Amino acid sequence: MNPRDRFAAVIAGEQPDFVPVIPVLDGYFAPRLTGRKNDECWLDGACMAAALAEGLRRLGCDGVVAEMGLGENPNVLGCPLEVRGHQVPLVVDTLVNGPEDLTKVKVPDPWAEGKMEPVQQLVEAAGDSVVIGSVRSPFEFAATVRGLIGFMTDFYGNPGLVRDLIDACFPATITLGLALAGSGVDALVIKDSFASSSMISPGHYLEFAFPSEAEAVKELGGKLPVILHVCRNSLPILPDMARTGAAVLEIDSPVDLIKAREAVGSAVVLKGNIDAVGVIEKGSRADVESAVRAALEAAKPGGRFILSTGDSIPSSAPEENVAALVEFGREFGKY
Amino acid sequence: MDLLSRFQKAIIDGDADAAAAIAEDITRVAEVRPDAIINSLSGAMETVGGKYETGEYFIPEMLRSAEAVEKALSLLDPYLFERRRDFSGVIVIGTVKGDIHNIGKNIIVSALRASGYEVHDLGVNVPAGKFVDRVKEVNADLLLLSAFTTSTKQALVEVLTALEEAGLRGRVKVVSGGAAHSEELARDVGVDAFASDVKSTLAVCRELLGKRGH
Ligand code: B12
Repeated sequence: MNPRDRFAAVIAGEQPDFVPVIPVLDGYFAPRLTGRKNDECWLDGACMAAALAEGLRRLGCDGVVAEMGLGENPNVLGCPLEVRGHQVPLVVDTLVNGPEDLTKVKVPDPWAEGKMEPVQQLVEAAGDSVVIGSVRSPFEFAATVRGLIGFMTDFYGNPGLVRDLIDACFPATITLGLALAGSGVDALVIKDSFASSSMISPGHYLEFAFPSEAEAVKELGGKLPVILHVCRNSLPILPDMARTGAAVLEIDSPVDLIKAREAVGSAVVLKGNIDAVGVIEKGSRADVESAVRAALEAAKPGGRFILSTGDSIPSSAPEENVAALVEFGREFGKY
Repeated sequence: MDLLSRFQKAIIDGDADAAAAIAEDITRVAEVRPDAIINSLSGAMETVGGKYETGEYFIPEMLRSAEAVEKALSLLDPYLFERRRDFSGVIVIGTVKGDIHNIGKNIIVSALRASGYEVHDLGVNVPAGKFVDRVKEVNADLLLLSAFTTSTKQALVEVLTALEEAGLRGRVKVVSGGAAHSEELARDVGVDAFASDVKSTLAVCRELLGKRGH
């Protein structure tokens, strides 16, 4: 099976030859891995596409993540970014500071000025490998343009603004998701990084994040398999995440894979959950081996599992550890 | 419930309006000792931090309490200022260059203000020189650096070096902490202390300021 067949088999609920290995190889790690600078890549989509394609080849994993953070970075909807050398890009100011700024949220035209070309280049260069297009959820867009502190202060102080802002951001998720789908990616990941129970209560998740998340999964899921990503501890909300209808739930390292499976039942695919920082960035080869073994022992039986990091591979991770993840994933991931 | 217990409850519940109303009562009655006010505010923020550590509170609840503290303090400041001879210490705090995580830092700022310190918050992505300038300008007792671990280690070292070069390292104690910041990292870069939550931060500050010898 080639990587794409392997991925398709898992999505269809069939048993592949190997557990697919698709760590979150995205715009954080790929530039440094391939000797490029973050600033060059984050401001120049073609550079980022080349870095991701080269990273994919070098690591030999089954897939890669196409960030919309190419060129003008529509994934921050116009928030000012500071990008310097090897540093990861920083959103240095907010766009929306009150209801009067709601009209500032503009959905970018992804097809303008050849903005999708880098994604198409990556899809082409990836050949048989899986390319996952990455887009933020309406909740995450809203938090980004408002600033996380203001956004979460509004939960109690001005919940109406939270809802209005999420509504204003919804079209961005859909438009960018459809543009990625139209550029030939194999799947979409909707990132809802701040929705977890490490940040907000399960009640607030249901109230603010879930409705638009579920709607976005429904709209985009008609086109392609949707992976739903929530950082850190998502265990309390996993049954609701499964209810969105996402084909795959991306699980971060604080969540036990066996408990995750119990929480969501057998129908949905799980993707995870090697600790991107503790194990991949900071750990040894032996740490990677035991983490991969443990994840596979917990989640390989019964299929519907993709071996991955729990979150983006950090910019400064050593290449050997990522390579070891792929190596041990193959060694112990054979069905 | 007495005035201060109700005050504490309003902060813990994150009820800024109630906290403000009680703060006004306090200034009107004008019988409550500044120390008692500070102790009750500080205790309330410690409780809030504890509720976060145990999973009862999440970030919006902590931010709500922090807001209540800030609102109450804005009303109490003149009252406290008149009655206190001395602040318990002058603190400069900020998130180091290259890092924009500010939620934890802001909670710490509120807890420190609630504990009666004079706090100068420089915000996020702060270059080393700016820390040094402010430490000098306000004659700070403590410098608190917020930094998540990986790419900000170098930034921490730069602040320490800049303090050294300005001849200030002996005069100001440096404490670090922040999201995913480890004690090991703190030891590595050579700060004076490390703290991982509201409670330990307040304890460390008390201890270091106690050693000042005035
Ligand atoms: C929210 C968040 C963000 C937001 C920040 C928004 C904002 N306004 O703050 C955004 C999206 C911008 C962000 C960006 C990034 N993040 Co981030 N982020 C987080 C997250 C999810 C929560 C942090 C938080 O606010 N926690 C809540 C507060 C209350 O906790 P706290 O910060 O730990 O603060 C407490 C204590 O640490 C202490 N404290 C805090 N500050 C200080 C200061 C002093 C002096 C003292 C004494 C104590 C103290 O008291 C606080 C109260 O208890 C964490 C994961 C996590 N769960 O920790 C990752 C995390 C910190 N981020 C991480 C990373 C890698 C990044 C990015 C590089 C991108 C990425 N791959 O995610 C960028 C870097 C941007 C940059 N250069 O700054 C990593 C850091 C890993 C590491 N060890 O290096 C973490 C741990 C996630 C992970 N596992 O990958 N992030």
